[in-house]
Formats: sequence, C-alpha cells, structure tokens
Amino acid sequence: MASTPNPPKPIVVWITPPGPNSWKVIVVLEELSLNYRIHSFRFDDVKKPPFIDINPNGRVPAIEDPNTGITLWESGAILQYLIEVYDGAAHRLSYTGLAERHLCNQWLHFQMSGQGPYFGQAGWFQHLHAEKIPSAIARYTAEIRRVLGVLDGVLAKKAKAEGKAEGSAVWLVGDKMTFVDLAFLPWNFRLAEVLVQSWDEVWAGLPHVRAWHERMVELPSWKRSMEHRARLMDEQGLQWNGVPKGIETFTEYEEKIARGEDTTALGK
Amino acid sequence: MAETKSDIHLYTAQTPNGIKISMLLEELGLPYKVTAIDLQKNTQKEPWFLEINPNGRIPALTDTFTDGSTIRLFESGSIMQYLVDRYDTEHKVSYPRGSREYWEVNNWLFWQMGGLGPMQGQANHFTRYAPEKIQYGINRYQNETRRLYRVMETQLSKSKSGYLVGDRLTIADLACWGWVASAYWAGIPLHEFPHLNAWVDRIVARPACEKGRHVPKPHTALENRNKTQEELDKAAAETRAWVQQSMAEDAKK
Repeated sequence: MASTPNPPKPIVVWITPPGPNSWKVIVVLEELSLNYRIHSFRFDDVKKPPFIDINPNGRVPAIEDPNTGITLWESGAILQYLIEVYDGAAHRLSYTGLAERHLCNQWLHFQMSGQGPYFGQAGWFQHLHAEKIPSAIARYTAEIRRVLGVLDGVLAKKAKAEGKAEGSAVWLVGDKMTFVDLAFLPWNFRLAEVLVQSWDEVWAGLPHVRAWHERMVELPSWKRSMEHRARLMDEQGLQWNGVPKGIETFTEYEEKIARGEDTTALGK
Repeated sequence: MAETKSDIHLYTAQTPNGIKISMLLEELGLPYKVTAIDLQKNTQKEPWFLEINPNGRIPALTDTFTDGSTIRLFESGSIMQYLVDRYDTEHKVSYPRGSREYWEVNNWLFWQMGGLGPMQGQANHFTRYAPEKIQYGINRYQNETRRLYRVMETQLSKSKSGYLVGDRLTIADLACWGWVASAYWAGIPLHEFPHLNAWVDRIVARPACEKGRHVPKPHTALENRNKTQEELDKAAAETRAWVQQSMAEDAKK
C-alpha cells in the first residue's frame, strides 16, 4: 500500500455512546490523528433504518469512508482497515513484517472473541439483567480472571525476555504500542464497573496487565476519547450504564423500545 | 503457490473452531501435519502447548516463517487470515488485499469470531452443560444465536453465488460453517433457516471441505439433524461432567 495521507473527507463513525466497542475505533482514529466525524445516535435506533442498512447485524460501531467508498462494520474489521489504509506508510501503531502483522491479528482476534464477549456477558448479568443469577455471574467473572491471567502471563514473560523491570513498558507485539494493545483498553477500562470492585481489587495479582493498562489510560488520545464519550452520553441524557435517565432498568428500557415509545423526553 | 515452502503443523480437535482450519488447508491444497489435542485430558493446558498458545485453546498452528524460524499462531480467525494472506496467492478462497470484497469478508469473519461463536458457545453451555438448568440463560443465548442466524439467512438469500461474500467460498463461510452445522446441539432447528440449511449442504458437497471437516476425527454434528432434543441431551451428559471439572480447575488459577 502506497503512502496514504490523512483522508481529505472525514471518515464517519456511527456509534451509540455507552458500549466499549465504538471506543476501540475512536481511540485509534485519535491516536493516528485522522480526519473523522462521530455520528452519535440512540440505542433505540440500532435495529432501524438507516443504521440497519449500514450494518445488517444492527450493532455499533460501523464506518463509512467517503474517501474509498467503503462501508464496514465489526470493530475488529474496522481496525484492520484503518491500520492498513491509514497507517500503511508511517506504521505508528503497526508493523510492516508479515510475522508482526499476523501476531497483531492474533491478539485482535483474541480480544474480539475472548475479551469482548465474556466481559460483555459479565456486565449483562451483573448490572443489566433484572434477576440476579449467581452461577451466571460466577461463570463470566471466572472467565474475565482467566483472560486477564493469560495477558499477565504473556506480558510478564515478554518483560523477562526483554530484560525489563516489573512495570516498565511492555507491549503485546514487538517493542512499541500497536493498535491491538489499544483494542483491549476500552473493555479493561470498564472492569471496576463490570466486576463491582475497586481498581486495586481488579488488578490484584496482575501487575503486568495493570502497568500496561495504566500506561494507555494516560494517553491524550484516550483522554480525548473519554471526553467525547462523556459529552455524547450527556447529550442523550444517559446514565453510566447506558439507560436513559428516568428509566429504572435496562429491561424497562428494552420494553419501551419494543413498544415504540419515545425515550428521549425521559432522558433530557 | 508451488514455490512457497510451507511446514504447517496444526494442533486441533473436532470442534467448530478446529475444523475451520483443516477445511481451509484442504481448500488451499496445502500439506500439513496434524496433532490431535485431547480436550478431555486437558492436553491444551500442558506447558508445551501453552508455549504455542498461552491461552490454552485450540486451534493453534506453527509454520516455518519466511525468515527460516518458527512462527506460532493461535485464534482461528487470525490463523485463517495468515493462511490466505501467505498462501492463497491465486485467490481461490479470498480476495485481493484492499479490494471491497476483501474488507467485506472481514466484516463476516469478525462477526463470527466476536458474535456467532461466543454466543452459540454460551447457548451450548446453558442448553447442554450447565450444572443447573437456568431457563433464562438458555433463552438468552438461543435467542441471540437465532438472531445471528437470521442476519446470515438474509445475507445468503440475497447472494447470487450462495456464499456470504461475492462470487466464491471464502474464509467468512468457513469460519461460520462448523458453528451453523452444529445448530441442533445448541437447540436450534436449522431447517427453520432454509438458505442456511442449503448453504451447509453446499459446503459439504465441496470435496476439500468434506475432507477437512473430518480432522482430526470424524465430524458427526450433521447427524444430529435427525435426533430429538432428548437424545442430544443424553449425549451431552458425559461431556457435562468434564466441562464442569475443567471450569472448576480454571477458576483455581
């Protein structure tokens, strides 16, 4: 791929503000300083046109890139696209070599299939489902600990192989931060909420993951991303869990959507 | 293709994720060695395997890389991307990098990895393996799996080739196939989705896929089409004990 300048027309990113997956895309756009525009809309409308025509799966995020005419959905597919097309010359968050490229992809798929879905189910049973089912909460909490344990083991081994002291900068692939390190950030950022624990409890026994995560939380690109999120959550009158103010539970919210009620007025 | 040297070694078991890779390798006509991993004996948690995949899951794959040293790969989606990127230079089951179809294949590949696989996996858990029967869990994940099947059904109903993207079978189809083929195990009658049902058979009719699905041992999921839910539940009993023991061991780590 020849060197690609910053796109002249903004890449449009369709998101609903609460969920973590959209922010994987935004933080990479921010980190690469790409020309983009957020199209924020309500969760009530994910299964309706025009969004359902963009993503038949009715889930955010999706992007439209007027510079190439391509429409894409699934955050992992979007990240691979952005990196190939817009980081293909400078390689700020990626590598040229075949091996490193595929090792990045390996971690991206692990994030997509191992971290996201299980952290998501834990969040659902812990916070959004009306009935408390202890065995389901235990199942997904255990899986979160397992995934974090795998990451900690890998980072620890890499620190040792690279002769680094505990807590110094180690990244999943090679010697620099890549898009795939950032891909883990939005879900890990929600762990205190998902597990209902203090950060010290969340990171107990996981010093390498903690140091890795805390390095990324300090990035200006992430801080800007979270400022956008706060503003867009506010704009829609959403509570921390994504439910509009004035509605008690997620179940109630889903029922209102199913009945075609306008939930906007409640939120404002 | 002929001049590319490969030294592929696949570590796998008879699961929807494992057969993605063997079906792809057969479609590409690549030689490969197979080591069957015994999940019931937790071979995938042994140190030698964790050296290849620190996540302790199948499939994993090693190959001699272009620089002469070994590359280790895990996660079925990343393995598939590696194989077509390096070896499918004639684009038998892929599209040229950067083309529209290339990116559209990626949509479905990640959709399978992040959605269909994990959610149908949870449907299996609550339908067949959970220590207590939690109707809510069964419904939640069966409904989500049905929703995902409908998304795929709609896509296939609009397809001229009968495959998910463009005019040919791609890794998007192969990623989904093992899961959809085992729909009955998750408690979902596949015949409710006529295009999906026909797509399952269309892929089995390809000699390479037919060969690849039986690695490392015979694939039997399609035979479940004729079984009742009661028969399937009985068949699950043995696996249930092992799944629960394995979960208990994971929780201790």
